[in-house]
Amino acid sequence: MQEDTIVSIATPIGKGAISIIRMSGKESLEIALKVFFAKNLKKNNIIPRKMYFGDFKLENNAFEQCLMVFFKNPFSYTGEDVVEFQIHGGVLIAQKVLERCISAGAKMAEPGEFSKRAFINGKITLDKAEAIIGEINAESEGELLSSLQVTNGKLAEKILSAQEDIKLLLAELEVGMDYPDETEETKLKEDVFFRLEEIRKKIDEIIENSKNSKYLHNGINVALIGRTNVGKSSVMNALLGEERAIVTDIQGTTRDQIQGSYFFEGIKINLVDTAGIRETTEKVESIGIEKSKKSLETADVVLFILDGSENMSADDERVLKLLKEKKTNFIVVINKIDKPRKIVNFENEIEISALKSENIEKLKKKIYENVIKNEIDFNKLVLTNERQYEILKEADKKLKKLIEKEIKSETLDVLSIQLKAIWQILGKITGKTENEDIIDLIFSKFCLGK
Amino acid sequence: MEEFDSVVIGAGHAGCEAALALSRTGNKTLLLTISLDAIAFLACNPSIGGTAKGQLVSEIDALGGEMGIIADKTALQIRMLNRGKGPAVQSLRVQSDKNAYHSEMKKVLENEPNIFIRQGEVVSVEIDGEKKIVTTNLGLKYLAKSVVFATGVYLKSEIIIGETRESTGPNGFKNSSSLSDCFMKLGLKLMRFKTGTPVRLHARSADFSKMEEQLGDEEGLNFSMMTEGVIENKASCYLTYTTPLTHEIIRQNLDKAPAISGEIKGVGPRYCPSIETKVVRFADRERHQLFLEPEALDTQELYLQGFSTSMPADLQKEMVKSVIGLENAEIMRDAYAIEYDCIEPTQLKPTLELKTIPGLFFAGQINGTSGYEEAGAQGIIAGINANLFNKNLPQLILKRSDAYIGVLIDDIVTKGTNEPYRMMTSRAEYRLLLRQDNADMRLTEIGRKVGLVSDERYEKYQKKCKKIEEIEQILQKKVKVDEKMAALFEENGENLPKENMRYCDLLKRTNIDIYKIEKAYSLFGDKFDKRLLDYVNTKIKYEGYIKQQKEEIDKMLANEKITIPEDFDYMSIKGIRMEAREKLSQIKPLNLGQASRISGVSPADISVLSILVKKRKI
Repeated sequence: MQEDTIVSIATPIGKGAISIIRMSGKESLEIALKVFFAKNLKKNNIIPRKMYFGDFKLENNAFEQCLMVFFKNPFSYTGEDVVEFQIHGGVLIAQKVLERCISAGAKMAEPGEFSKRAFINGKITLDKAEAIIGEINAESEGELLSSLQVTNGKLAEKILSAQEDIKLLLAELEVGMDYPDETEETKLKEDVFFRLEEIRKKIDEIIENSKNSKYLHNGINVALIGRTNVGKSSVMNALLGEERAIVTDIQGTTRDQIQGSYFFEGIKINLVDTAGIRETTEKVESIGIEKSKKSLETADVVLFILDGSENMSADDERVLKLLKEKKTNFIVVINKIDKPRKIVNFENEIEISALKSENIEKLKKKIYENVIKNEIDFNKLVLTNERQYEILKEADKKLKKLIEKEIKSETLDVLSIQLKAIWQILGKITGKTENEDIIDLIFSKFCLGK
Repeated sequence: MEEFDSVVIGAGHAGCEAALALSRTGNKTLLLTISLDAIAFLACNPSIGGTAKGQLVSEIDALGGEMGIIADKTALQIRMLNRGKGPAVQSLRVQSDKNAYHSEMKKVLENEPNIFIRQGEVVSVEIDGEKKIVTTNLGLKYLAKSVVFATGVYLKSEIIIGETRESTGPNGFKNSSSLSDCFMKLGLKLMRFKTGTPVRLHARSADFSKMEEQLGDEEGLNFSMMTEGVIENKASCYLTYTTPLTHEIIRQNLDKAPAISGEIKGVGPRYCPSIETKVVRFADRERHQLFLEPEALDTQELYLQGFSTSMPADLQKEMVKSVIGLENAEIMRDAYAIEYDCIEPTQLKPTLELKTIPGLFFAGQINGTSGYEEAGAQGIIAGINANLFNKNLPQLILKRSDAYIGVLIDDIVTKGTNEPYRMMTSRAEYRLLLRQDNADMRLTEIGRKVGLVSDERYEKYQKKCKKIEEIEQILQKKVKVDEKMAALFEENGENLPKENMRYCDLLKRTNIDIYKIEKAYSLFGDKFDKRLLDYVNTKIKYEGYIKQQKEEIDKMLANEKITIPEDFDYMSIKGIRMEAREKLSQIKPLNLGQASRISGVSPADISVLSILVKKRKI
């Protein structure tokens, strides 16, 4: 049905040993056969859903062995002709295959475009599309569970009830304006105030319940900070359990932020190593330090790493000052306790040895508990979706403005318009008042390729 | 056969505006009415305007219509409603002299050179190629390029009082017995609606000392830009209440209430229930308020607002006598319910032209609406578009963001209605922009373009614009932070700014308005009309919210610009649910915006539709 043939990498980038590149559209087979060669394979003899082993010809005439499958419309995810390549290797090779498909005539897919096509061709419903967002992103057990709850509609029910309250209040305001002979105005305004507070309580409760959902979805961001040479990279490696950063004794070698993740209690923990902070005139390194400062702002918790075998240095003090200035949430990690301890005691500290892998599990637990204050109860109503969470926060913000400011200064006509806006905002979750823009937004939340 | 450019059938509020719009744009127009005495007849309450309806009257006026002028001329009392609730929902209402209203409108029609008024009942309209043949009950035939149907509640109407059911029009006028059948033959879908009107009493029988007098507002208010001078308040209304006895009588006799016993099958309006419905539905209310309104200066008849009923006549008398101050009431006319045929308005385009037959336009209660103002609003649009049709010019569609008229028409042709449709401010999503005080700013240029705004009106409008500009320029001037300002801010509980501001910035403070600024700084003197100052005050004070609404409109208009071909095949779209496909096929929306407002069409459906429409255009 669509003019363009689209392509994208369907598998999460940088994960797994195999990547899948997917094409969808009228010309997908034609394009595929320009770049993929298997024994006796031609356009007229290809068997749908059969896996072919062959060579993918890259731009520089290099060949890459890979597998190819063709799905004939309408029996494919999108309902169009679809071709998938399964290739070995990491990000780089997947990128090259993708680029070759594009140079052969495919178009880079917009975010969520595959699912949008699937939806348009009647392959999935909008409800399912919503649910798929959760499932695509469900990289851990917890996410999937609560995502299912959202699709079960329990949460929608709760939000619907808040929306219903607003609707009722709105109706009353409107009646007052359309039938001025029949209402007493002063009483109305007072009543509005109390009822708005009640509605806000309901919404606040969901927001409070859902605070953890952000972590379910995006994981917890942990930044590692400390002066150079306290063993940040070793701590990170110990946490990740694999060699991700170059561990060396030469000061200032870790200039880029290196990211890695591990799972703890079903939650993804994202680690960001930062350049060591010290007074420096070297240009490259000072850029790294600026970055370090930035990552402090986006981190949910910061690991302030100290060398326990040495006294606090001026650089240590500088980092501590920075953390306090920025009011950062941080844990003091005393590293190198395999050596005699010299450093002073801190209130919120944990002793570890990255080298000897001592107390690493304890540290993982401490990180988790520092952020997830309450136990995650997957039976509670939890918003699993960042979009929904943001919508609720937006509604809450508007409610707050209405309650704290506008109700005093504005006339009823304005109040009811603002209240209606909140009602519509909640409708973005309940699906009662969606429009084309929001649909686009939903689809742009789709992971590429699913 | 006598030939006209257009024939307008019905001379109620829709028909009058339609005929005037046609005549004033140079069309030879035949105005047919069942009775010349029913021209512009205020069949129910003797009042024009009210919430949202006041906006409609101002909009009709801004486009160059007549309703506002006549309403001003025949006003017995004028009031601004919702003063305290904000400018968006403020609406004017006048008590009208119903006899004067009728005769003044009739005079205007009679003085139009292009209007030919003729008493007669239309029995059929036939399509003869491009022409339409209109036939009356006496066998007279007329030929026209276009026809405007504005037949009100006259189609197969029946008056119901208790067990009595009479096939007649309102107020004893003859009804139209065969035009509905003609509509059926033309393939139109009809509905049966119901409405009602309360009793009329002799003024000498009411004890006003037991009631609360309602006076008009004293400041010079009016609907029309063309009205010179101040409208005097010549009569009062009175507020009174039902008593427990009233409710008791009704409860004891519910079996005799046609509306409740099931005798009346037509769908009545929820917003205007009969007194028996009120008593049943709101059983916990101890009393209901009623208003006594004067019908006209040259009569003693009073209208008892809030007391519409279809109870038997003898019971009506008993019920009325139980109302405070009406113990000795003399009823002059009985209350009645009226059932009538109307068409399903979704058969119309947003131009009010029938989708299936070009050149047939529909306006007023025949489209399932209620109210004089709603009728007049559709009448002027139908008239404008019939004229444009006659001249083969593009039709006029007012958008929801242009006018209440736009909201009204879009609502009925897109969503249809299952009760008599009444305009309400809550139906208008952009009402901060659709105020009564800026109707001319929104619509006079449009009215001018279609040829309805006279030179005289246009000059007045331009003068007004200039004056407003002057006021705004004065407010752009800088003002120093000094003792004077300190006093003004102190007095109004506002924090004094640190830096010099412009006067218009002062206006944005919650507790400071243009009059307080005037009092402190004497910027304007008596150079400007109060209404102009009010207008600028609102415009500046609500700037933020108005901006917010304008942004919403821009978003809405994006979809409004994506037109859908008339022959679009909805039934073959796989990605859309069957219910939505059927609705879309039935309504045939002009564009994606209209499609999105059809009930039963979800945003997901629209998303799919948008892609297919875009694809088809490539």
